[in-house]
Amino acid sequence: MIRKLAIIIIFFYILALLQTSFLVHFSINGMVPNLILISALLINFFEDPKKKDGILSAFIGGFFLDVFSENIFGLKILILTGTACFIKLMLNKYVRFPFFKKRF
Amino acid sequence: MKPFLKINITATVILIICFFGILNLTGLSKPVRNFIYSISAPIQENFWQKGNKVSDFFDFISRSKSLGEENKKLLSDNQELISENTWLKELKKENEMLRQALDIELQKDFKLILAEIISKDISQDFILINKGLKHGILKGRAVVTSQKALCGRIDEVYDDFSKVMLISNPEISFDAKIQSEDKDEVYGVIEGKTNSALYFNLIPQDKEIKKHDIIITTSLGGIFPKGLLVGRIKEIKQDDVQPFQQAEIEPFFSLKDIETLFIITEY
Repeated sequence: MIRKLAIIIIFFYILALLQTSFLVHFSINGMVPNLILISALLINFFEDPKKKDGILSAFIGGFFLDVFSENIFGLKILILTGTACFIKLMLNKYVRFPFFKKRF
Repeated sequence: MKPFLKINITATVILIICFFGILNLTGLSKPVRNFIYSISAPIQENFWQKGNKVSDFFDFISRSKSLGEENKKLLSDNQELISENTWLKELKKENEMLRQALDIELQKDFKLILAEIISKDISQDFILINKGLKHGILKGRAVVTSQKALCGRIDEVYDDFSKVMLISNPEISFDAKIQSEDKDEVYGVIEGKTNSALYFNLIPQDKEIKKHDIIITTSLGGIFPKGLLVGRIKEIKQDDVQPFQQAEIEPFFSLKDIETLFIITEY
């Protein structure tokens, strides 16, 4: 668990540094891709809906977005975590993927 | 879902919101941010420089075709500027002589602090610089480039870092005028429109403005010192129905080309 947490923190930290310092120079019409948001959403979409790592990823991603932005601290944590919870809920209740086999 | 679990989740969410609320209201988020910026600053500076170099390389490739034409234009611009410069030097001499004759003290130059850009907030027009409260930076100070082109103003100060609100941020607006030799000067208000876009608003309909006119700051409003370069008129939007004219401005500063900035501490 600690190893997984450390990997998620380092991954999102590197993404935050990249998107605030490196990718700024490659903006198109002033727009830079939000790697943290994209990654957090992808993790939540493609992870097993029963697992909770996606929500943890969204929380950590939101934390780094908040640290490196001028918004109210905690706003992006809440938005990303809320979105991750919503995706999980939708996937659990209404969507069935053929590649996630149920274990009985 | 069980009612107990529902109450539990609601309570947790409320507690988290309260925690962040307290963190923001008491200013406790500042030390957290300052700590993370201190750890990240060396890596971010490195990333910023590398990004600058790589984007310069790609810019060079994409612009290589038009370099010849651009060079010709720059040479003619340069000649024009040389003649203007000579004329201005003569004027400066005359001005100094007149000042001496009238015994007027010359205006002091700006007091500046050099800072390096560390990062940019991608969703808003803010940048982070590596100078803060410890270096004498205060909120509201103007930030310029080495060519005296206005970049923005200090919005948030941490111990070792500061956040600069760029002039293209929609929350910023200030008085400016078109640089001209005529007595009939054209005044207006600069407003930010995000993503490095700027607009020159509230220009009276009877005033004539031209493309490529240079906009400079005025001391009206007391936000910025007068005479700082803002940008060049890119497009004029004139509508007879509207009471005022509007012009889109191309700012003189470009984040892609600069690594260092100056904060005006006294003027």
